Parts: sequence; structure tokens; C-alpha cells
Amino acid sequence: MATVWRSQSAFARLFAGKTGQILNNATDLGTKLGPGSQSAILARKYSNYAHSPFVTRVKEQYEYEIVKNPPEWAYVQRLLPFDTIPAVTPKESYPSGWVPPKEEAKSLPFFLSRTRNHEIPIYLHITFRGIRKITKIKRIEGDIWLMNEEIKSYLKEKNNRYVETRVHEVGRFIEAKGDYVNQLVEWAHSKGF
Amino acid sequence: MGSRQITEKSLSMLRSLPRISLGNIRDNPNCRKPAKRGRAQHGGDKHGAGNKGSGQRQNFMRLGYETGNNPFYLRVPQEHYYRGHHLRREYPPLTLHELQRMIDKDRVDVNQPIDIASIVKSGIYNFFPDQKQFGVNLTDEGADLFTAKINIEVQWASELVIAAIEKNGGVITTAYYDPHSLFLLKNPKKFFESGQAIPRRMIPPPDAIEYYTSAKTRGYLADPEEISKERLKLSQKYGYNLPDIQKESNYQMLCERKDPRQIFYGLEPGWVVNLKDECILKPKDQELLKFYNT
Amino acid sequence: MTSALISAIKRLHITITPQIRVYSSNVAAATSASTNSLSITKKEWAFQPEYTKPREVWIENLDTIEEQKLGLFELHPSVYAAPPRLDIINQNVVWQRKIRYVSWAHTKTRAEVRGGGKKPWPQKGLGRARHGSIRSPLWRGGGVAHGPRSGKSHFFMLPFHMRILGLTTTLSSKLAQDDLHIVKDLELPTDEPEYLAELVEKRNWGPSVLLVDDTDYAPRNITAATDSLAHINIMPVYGLNVYSMLKHDTLVLTLSAAEKIEERLLHWLHTNTREQSKEFKVNQV
Repeated sequence: MATVWRSQSAFARLFAGKTGQILNNATDLGTKLGPGSQSAILARKYSNYAHSPFVTRVKEQYEYEIVKNPPEWAYVQRLLPFDTIPAVTPKESYPSGWVPPKEEAKSLPFFLSRTRNHEIPIYLHITFRGIRKITKIKRIEGDIWLMNEEIKSYLKEKNNRYVETRVHEVGRFIEAKGDYVNQLVEWAHSKGF
Repeated sequence: MGSRQITEKSLSMLRSLPRISLGNIRDNPNCRKPAKRGRAQHGGDKHGAGNKGSGQRQNFMRLGYETGNNPFYLRVPQEHYYRGHHLRREYPPLTLHELQRMIDKDRVDVNQPIDIASIVKSGIYNFFPDQKQFGVNLTDEGADLFTAKINIEVQWASELVIAAIEKNGGVITTAYYDPHSLFLLKNPKKFFESGQAIPRRMIPPPDAIEYYTSAKTRGYLADPEEISKERLKLSQKYGYNLPDIQKESNYQMLCERKDPRQIFYGLEPGWVVNLKDECILKPKDQELLKFYNT
Repeated sequence: MTSALISAIKRLHITITPQIRVYSSNVAAATSASTNSLSITKKEWAFQPEYTKPREVWIENLDTIEEQKLGLFELHPSVYAAPPRLDIINQNVVWQRKIRYVSWAHTKTRAEVRGGGKKPWPQKGLGRARHGSIRSPLWRGGGVAHGPRSGKSHFFMLPFHMRILGLTTTLSSKLAQDDLHIVKDLELPTDEPEYLAELVEKRNWGPSVLLVDDTDYAPRNITAATDSLAHINIMPVYGLNVYSMLKHDTLVLTLSAAEKIEERLLHWLHTNTREQSKEFKVNQV
């Protein structure tokens, strides 16, 4: 510790009142050195600051051309993130299987609103290492009990068995016991949600 | 049975109820299970952790360690194809089905060339360059339903994927980006705001040179003549008519490629993008121009 | 007569939508409307309400003590008619209370209590219980075992969307309970606190009122009038929070503040919040 302190103070003594001579103490000091100064430095040892020479020539500013309203600005704008998730423009067909919501769904007594990503909010929750599978329908508006009855009868007809469901009124979701995500998404598409 | 209109009914019920204030709100009943402390003779002694050892101290043995036995994973013949897996490049997959869904939902613009920046911008795909992930592996799930005509640049693609895209009159390129460039492509806005000059793209490492110079994989360093030959070959192999992209209305867009040293479309290395003043700083210094062009 | 009719409509506004609606083109028309002609504004949101109908509120004034209806104004149901989840409101209030709370309760351990270095009596031979220190937690005047140690932070971060939902839920329940009023602006004819107190009294706004404006600088008269009234406070839009809304009986928004709040919350409800939903780390750069 003591040796370090002594060398530091020697360094400080050397630079007392001469700080204006330190031309550039930036991190990229090495890259900006002129060719003449570099050879001088290379001949020296770096083990002591006091032995290292002063920087002689520093190129402080490279020449730059500032282009206002450049034609390339469209390329920059293309890279910037979306402010909000864009709305889907209507197309003739959607090969991926995505289905746009229909207008007539709004006249139904119940409603399933799309998520911000324009997807139907039906999810599968797997718990107890795959033992329990619960299908969850979220973002329900309107008559949740009527929707529950319709879902029950739809799933019973499809699977020829009784499917247990659970309605959470405050959280506005319905849970069905079992993996019925694809069937319920199909049902939601048929209703126009 | 509850109400028929959840939101409307509960909001109209609130009108006749006392004002909601700091004094009368609470969490749902039984939503939080209180931490219980055992009582009586043995209630407070071990707290379910047992006596001694890893159960009590939570210092579990490392995975596969069998307390001195020759462990199973060393006893059986090794799976050599996993050797060096932690050093290899990883390409998180994106299926053609997902890509088609992005296009259907207008998350990527098919009228512009698609690269990893626009795929990440869609918000549906994500990757982590710091975890040795080197970009998109476009996989063939949904190759049958893929119909979009695009100019796409990915980091890895199989033969079937290349065929699926070229069948629709699209163009695919596989291109390598070093991790530093991938950080820039993942979040360009953050980079532009940092005020640094756009760096050069590095050339692929030795073990990836072959993939990215091969015309079969549509490598970005391959000979364009070879690529057009391979396009024809692949169409004959899979049995589809190769659409002539020169007759397309968006031929200009389909021909757009990046320079092997370029990271962003249309922006050259060495430029500084100023988002605040909407201007671009271009170097004029010969020293810099030489540096960024090599 | 008109006020009776208006209050009757106000009472029924959940079930009855007005049959005749005059749509003006923009909000500027609503703000410049004179007192004797009601202007009804239909708004074009970037994200149209889907199923729940937009809420309609009166635009009121502050420049007379008697309430005057300057017009009707539509509010987006995603922000002003969200389901009243009291549990979410409560979690927001708990978060706001705890985020800046540091417990300074402090006790001394047996090591910190003065003395107790010497073994009080020999281990064996006295027929007494064995003890090593008179400051053991078993002793009177000894240290405290597992007592509170000072400087304990209760900081935690509520998930981003719980915070957004907290704002929409509180605004919705305030509106549903008639505790949210929209005023044209915060201009008062006088800077006397008595005027504002009388206005609040007359309009039955309850003793405490929170005024929210879009700008950082409120008009001079209202700042001077509220200066001596501790229970009437002014806040800019970016300071709006669940705790303050619940602490005050009535929330008064200016027209521009209501729009600004609506715009900001709709933005967050329809944007990719991967960055915001990340796990919060205290020491992240």
C-alpha cells in the first residue's frame, strides 16, 4: 500500500499545474495517437506513469458530414419499435389460421374480447407435472353464466361426455377441466369473437 | 347464480354502496395463506426439514452425483453428439407457421426485406445474444400453408424451408452476425440513442464459413450465379415451377441484400444516427472511410 | 326543472342511452360551448370500445358556485368502466404504503447489550442452572433474540399491469360512485379560499377534493385558494395514483387531464410491455 501511495504522489507532483497538458484522457486514447507518438511510446515501459511520455498529437475530431432529413431516414424508422401494437388490416385470406373477429359477435349477450395481440384469450394451464390440465377462458364480458352453459353443452356434444367447468365472476373467467383449447377456440371462432 | 352483466351490474351496485376509501378496502377473502408455525410437542423442532444432511441444510448434491458411486452418466457410453454443447452456436427456432401468422397480423411488413431486426420488432420472437444465441433458425413447421412472398434473411434454414419460400416466389438468404451486431439488431433504438457509430459486421468463424459460403444453404457469401443454379435444382428436386422473380412488380425489393459488412438495411457502418434531431452523421475522413470499408 | 331532469337522467345513465345525440366534430367545440347550449361529444379513439358502452359524463364549471352543465363528454370504458376489483385497489394501496416504508425498530442482541462478558457463576457445583452471560436472552435486561433490526426496507414492486389495472379500477369506481367530476378548466373568479370551500360544500363534493390538471402550473387563483385549504389539493396528470384518489373524497379532472389519462392508459393496454413486465431488480443499471 505504501509503495503505491508513494508512486501516486510522485505522479501527482509531476503533473502539478500541468493538467492542461494532458490532451486526451479518454478511454480510446490508444486509437487516436498519431503515428509519430506511438513509436516513441512503444520504446518505453508502461510500468510507471512517471516514465511514460506525454501524448504529443491527438486527432480530436474526425471529419463528419451532418445530413439533415437524409433519404436513408426511412431505413431508421423501419427499425424503431411499434408505439402500440398495430391493428390488422383486412385481407382476403389468412393462411396461418388466424381469424379476424366478426362484427355480429357484439350483439351476443356475452362477449370474448381479443387480447392486445389480436388472439383469443383461451389458455391451457398444466399443473402437478401434467396430471391436471385446465382450460381457461379469460376476458369474458356480459352474461358469463349463459356462456358457461353454451360451452358446457358444446363440449358435451363434441366429446360425448360431461365436462366440468368453473365460473369466476369477479375475475371474469371460466375454467374447464381438461385440455379443450382447440375445441373452444373453434367455438369462439364460430361465434365470431 | 350471479348477475347477468358482470361489469355493469357491479358498477351500478357501487352507486348505492358507501364510498370506496382507504378505510374500507381489503384483499379477497382467503387469498393469502398465513405462514403457520407448528405448536405442541413436536411442532417447533424440525419444521419439516428432517434431521441432518442435505434435507436440513438445503445443500443438495450436484445433479448426477451418487455419493461416491461411479455415477450413471459416466458409467454408460457417453452421448458424444452433446460434446461441447455449451460452446456451440445456438439458433432459437421460428416456424414458418409463426412467420405466416406474423405476416397475417401485420407484425412484419412483407413489402420490405425481412431480417432479424424486423422479426424481433414484431414482439413475437425473442433471443438472447449473450447466451450464445446467434439468430433465427427458420424451421419447416407450417411449410405447406406458407404462402407469403418475401425477401427474408435468417441465420439458419433447412432445405425444405428454402424450398417453401422459393416456391412462392420469395427469396431467402442465410447470413451470419457476430454477437455484437446481434445486440444492435435486437434493440436498434437503444443503440442509436447511445450515440455510437454503427460498427462493421464481422466475418463468420471458421466452422461457419462453409455454411455461409455455400449456395445450397443460400449463404450470403455465396456466388449469386451458383445460387440461381441451386434455386433451379431445388425446384426440380421438390417438383414446383420456380417463379421468375425478374417479372415481379417488387423485383427491386426482392433483390435487396445487405453488404457482408453491413448490419442494418440502408445504413452503412461508420454512420451515427441521431434520433433526436433526425439526422445522420456520415464520416468524411479518409482514415475512417478506409477503416469501415475493410 | 332542467336540473331535476338532468339528475333523473344521471341516475339512469347506466340503463338508458340518450336517443337523440348531436355529434360535434371535435372536443374543441365542446370546450368553447356557451353555458346555455349543451355540447355532446362523440370521440374517435384509436382503440374503439368493443362491447361495453362508453361512459358519458357532464362537463362542469368552476367559475360559479352553482353547478352548470357545459356539455356531455364520452370516456373510454377500458379506462373509466373497468370492473371494480377491490382486491386490485387494495394491493396497489399496500404497495404504495410499503414501497417507501423503512422500519427503524431496533433491538440490541446479547452481544450489543453492555456487560455480560463474565460467566456469572461456575458451570457445576452450585446446584444452579448453567449460564454463560448475564445478557443472554433468557435474562431480565438481556439481549433480544430475533428482534427487529433497524433499516429494514419493505420495498417491493407490484407487477406492471397490476399498477395499470389499479389506476383504471380506481378511476372506474370513482366514476361509478359519482365521485369523479370533469371540469372545463381550473379557472376561478377569485383567489379566496372561502369561495372554493363554499363551492365544494354546495356541490356536495365532500370535504376533501383532489384536482388533477394536465399542466405543471395550475392557474394562479386556484393555487392561491387551495393554499390554505389542506384538504383540497392539486396534482399534475403524471402524479395521479391510487392512494391519493382514495384519500380524497372527490376526484376532479380537467377535460384535458381526463383525455391525457385515457390516452396514456389506453397506450399501455395496447402495447408490447415485455420490457415493463420484466422482473424488477433494485440494483439494475
